[in-house]
Amino acid sequence: MGAMTLIVRVLVGALFIFAGVAKVGHFNDLAAAIAGFRILPEPVVGPLAVLLPFFEIGLGLYLAAGLFTRTAATIAAVQLTVYAAAIASAVIRHIPANCGCFGPQDQVPADWPHVVVDLALAAVCVLVARRAPGLFALDTRLRSAP
Amino acid sequence: MKNTRILLWISIVVVIVGVIIAIRYANSGGVQKSASQAPVLGTAKIGAPAPTFQAATNHGFFDLTKADKPVFLEVFATWCPHCQRQTAVIDNLYAKYKNRVDFVAVTGSSVGMDHQSPASEEDTLTFVQTFHVQYPVAFDGSLGVAKEYLQGGYPTMVVINGKKVVTYLTSGETPYTELAAALNAAL
Repeated sequence: MGAMTLIVRVLVGALFIFAGVAKVGHFNDLAAAIAGFRILPEPVVGPLAVLLPFFEIGLGLYLAAGLFTRTAATIAAVQLTVYAAAIASAVIRHIPANCGCFGPQDQVPADWPHVVVDLALAAVCVLVARRAPGLFALDTRLRSAP
Repeated sequence: MKNTRILLWISIVVVIVGVIIAIRYANSGGVQKSASQAPVLGTAKIGAPAPTFQAATNHGFFDLTKADKPVFLEVFATWCPHCQRQTAVIDNLYAKYKNRVDFVAVTGSSVGMDHQSPASEEDTLTFVQTFHVQYPVAFDGSLGVAKEYLQGGYPTMVVINGKKVVTYLTSGETPYTELAAALNAAL
């Protein structure tokens, strides 16, 4: 079971790192994608567009390395659920928002399949949090350190 | 256990410092004002009567109620790179359909071409000259047309048939073939 947690942890971590790296340096595109959802007030959009890519990379690194695995997986689950809720809200309101999940090249419209994928990933993160930390986790090393 | 605590505190400090840097960077112009604004969402729908509008274009005054041909309407922003690239496509459409279709492009953002200053008549003319726009273009400071037609993204392109019904509505860069098909269907 530890090996399975490790695999899932690394895969989800890699996904977060990939998503974050794809957004770095494209703050305006990300801001436009976030603004397109019409949920957050304008003053919040810019700082969030700057912070989010690095936050995703950091979260991905923590998950992949198994550092504070339970907390990182819980935060990832919450984040993915928020994404799912934002996309669902755009679909329900018939707002043609772009997902922007993987940077400016990702011009796929936000739709129900995105909601399902995000919720499925959130569920996977919940499982990781429950079975944390899994094999080869820094958490285990830190705990066993004198 | 001590190492865990140190790492935890480092993580928390990094997040807090990151938030502060992000706020300062975004507010110092690192993120363009135009990008943080959600475009207005128009009420126009395919199959519904087209909301009436007028526009003072660089080719003359346009009034939808007086149009006796199908209308190709674009709502755009001068700062929007998609709109800048789309000018070439619309120029080609204009060259082919200008005798059978009324073309009009109207600005739909309060922000100018430099992403920071307010949109203006001058800004719109600069856009026309920079991108060699051939079709009629109008500056709309009130964003009245955008409030009726913009569909969440720039550019929004609309085809209105001779009965003043919206027959086509799209946003984002759109290929010539798709727009030509929409115009042919309205003719």
